[in-house]
Amino acid sequence: MQKSTTRDFVVGLFVLAGLLAVAYLSANLGGLSYSGDGGFELVAVFDDVGGLSQRSPVKISGVKVGQVKGIQLDEDLRARVALDLDPALELPIDSSAAIRTAGLLGDQFVSLEPGAEDELLRPGEVFTYTESALSLDKLVGRLVHGDAFEEE
Amino acid sequence: MSEAVRPGTVQRLGGYASSWVVGLGQMAAFAGGIVTAIARPPVRFARVVRAVFDAGVLSIALVCGAGFAVGMVLGLQGYTTLVRFGAQESLGAVVGLVLIRELGPVVTGLLVIGRAGSATTAEIGAMVSTQQLDGLRMMSIDPMHFIVMPKALALTFVMPLLSSLFIVFGVFGGYVVGVDLVGLDGGSYMASLENAVEFRDDVLQSLVKALVFGALLGVISTYRGYTSPPHAMGVSRSTTSAVVTASVWLLLTDYVITAFWGV
Amino acid sequence: MRLAFGDRTIFENLSCRFARARITVLMGGSGTGKSTALRMIAGLQRPDSGKVRVAGDDIVGLRESGLQRVRRRLGMLFQDGALLDSMTVLENVGLPLREHTRLGDAEIRDAVHERLAAVGLHDVDSLLPGELSGGMLRRVALARAIIMDPEIVLCDEPFSGLDPPNVERIEALFQELCHDRGLTLIVTSHHMASSLRMSDQIVLLQHGRAVSGAPGQLATRGDPEIKDFLGADGAALARQVASGSAS
Repeated sequence: MQKSTTRDFVVGLFVLAGLLAVAYLSANLGGLSYSGDGGFELVAVFDDVGGLSQRSPVKISGVKVGQVKGIQLDEDLRARVALDLDPALELPIDSSAAIRTAGLLGDQFVSLEPGAEDELLRPGEVFTYTESALSLDKLVGRLVHGDAFEEE
Repeated sequence: MSEAVRPGTVQRLGGYASSWVVGLGQMAAFAGGIVTAIARPPVRFARVVRAVFDAGVLSIALVCGAGFAVGMVLGLQGYTTLVRFGAQESLGAVVGLVLIRELGPVVTGLLVIGRAGSATTAEIGAMVSTQQLDGLRMMSIDPMHFIVMPKALALTFVMPLLSSLFIVFGVFGGYVVGVDLVGLDGGSYMASLENAVEFRDDVLQSLVKALVFGALLGVISTYRGYTSPPHAMGVSRSTTSAVVTASVWLLLTDYVITAFWGV
Repeated sequence: MRLAFGDRTIFENLSCRFARARITVLMGGSGTGKSTALRMIAGLQRPDSGKVRVAGDDIVGLRESGLQRVRRRLGMLFQDGALLDSMTVLENVGLPLREHTRLGDAEIRDAVHERLAAVGLHDVDSLLPGELSGGMLRRVALARAIIMDPEIVLCDEPFSGLDPPNVERIEALFQELCHDRGLTLIVTSHHMASSLRMSDQIVLLQHGRAVSGAPGQLATRGDPEIKDFLGADGAALARQVASGSAS
């Protein structure tokens, strides 16, 4: 009986460790625990989102403040990106959103640049100024055709 | 000469094929027997716990050690490849995705086949050859219910747990190489990992694979033991055949699940 | 009790009956189907045709649930004990009680101790089958076979691989079970001396036929096949047994 109790205990420990591993993968890495509700949602419209996808990070000065909640086409056939942000964030109304790349080939993310106005963006409002993704193949194409430094 | 050989060969191939299909049918019926045994009282909780101990607890060291080693190799190989493109910041994503989607379930499955699956076949085969299963029948205890079902069930449910442990240790192994040895930034390793991994596409796929592999190797290893010829040679052949069959089925199933997941 | 089977490969039209509350030994050279006959009585194997009656019920056509009912009345001692080697002696012997009754741990332990004492074993509860000697293993298996108080005990080669003292001990146990508890024993054996000594009836399987009779009778019959099987030593022994029972 003694022996079988010890075994039961060890089996219990094993199952616990395994479940912890499953939970870690699901919640921490898989981002299952992140609730998109109740956050502070803003919208940014871009001509080209490049490789941006759902759950891509949103950063200010390199610090993560939220993530992309969804990407849809709006009626003008431009990309409408919903951002799910930290509710404590206070962004002036003239702030801008840009799509940047981490390193040369790294993941793309949305970078927010705070503006200078006193008035703040309210939930659901749209960024006035946006900058689309820097597309590597467009860049290479322009280099090849010799007009790399022309304004678009 | 060749005219005389040809029909014989074709017939033999046909014979092999049809006996293979018959074997598949018998194995499916056996799997059905296990499923109905689960539903039948009494609940064999203590037997399942014991089987989890044999299949799971005794495999922990192997699985965690292997996971760590595989993670380290992935870290090193991934780094040397990524650094050519200047994308070494994505090392965490590479290591994590490869482990979660493929290597975690597949390598854990192969390890468990070798460690616990073969032991299951050999144990049940030895019980057949020493008439222990007949002994149970004489006591009006169904060996499918008493011996086979708890072992198959334990192998099924142990797999996702072991596979997840393998992945966690693999991610840690990659971290040790990428951050401690090569000198990448620990934060960006974990950040690229967390950004790249999706729950439904990656983690759920990983868990489903591990569960399916577990069921597969649970059924195959118990079936081979149960149908083992009652002598030492027969048991050893059945054990070999269980390892081979389970490994091949695991790899084939892996492709099918990956393709159907559509990613 | 009547038993008849026709098995294509091993025996054709074999027919024999076993007496209640007696020890019957099934004898015969290897390959004559002694163990197969025993397994058919237990319902572990089915004859290709024919009937196997256990206390009046034909068991050949029975499904697993029906067989289970019949097996409540049967106990079986397998050749190498067939104890589950991952369980202790206590767990092994008590297993049928744990499965089929609502007895508590203490009651099961008492019942197990009673049966173990009946086969002459004490203080072996926590041993594993692998730690037992051949003779002890056989006796533990016998204790398990009688734990549910069966009417009939089937014993497959209970003497193989045992030394003379152990053979005698098990022989004595069989006689005690039969005469004191009124059990019917059907034993397969090729151990001549013990079979002749302890049995009430011997069934000799040879060339797919069965010859049966009391141990003393067999020797006095003129059948050449029996003489052939018994040999000179066996015949002498049989005569000895016959004269012993006569006096």
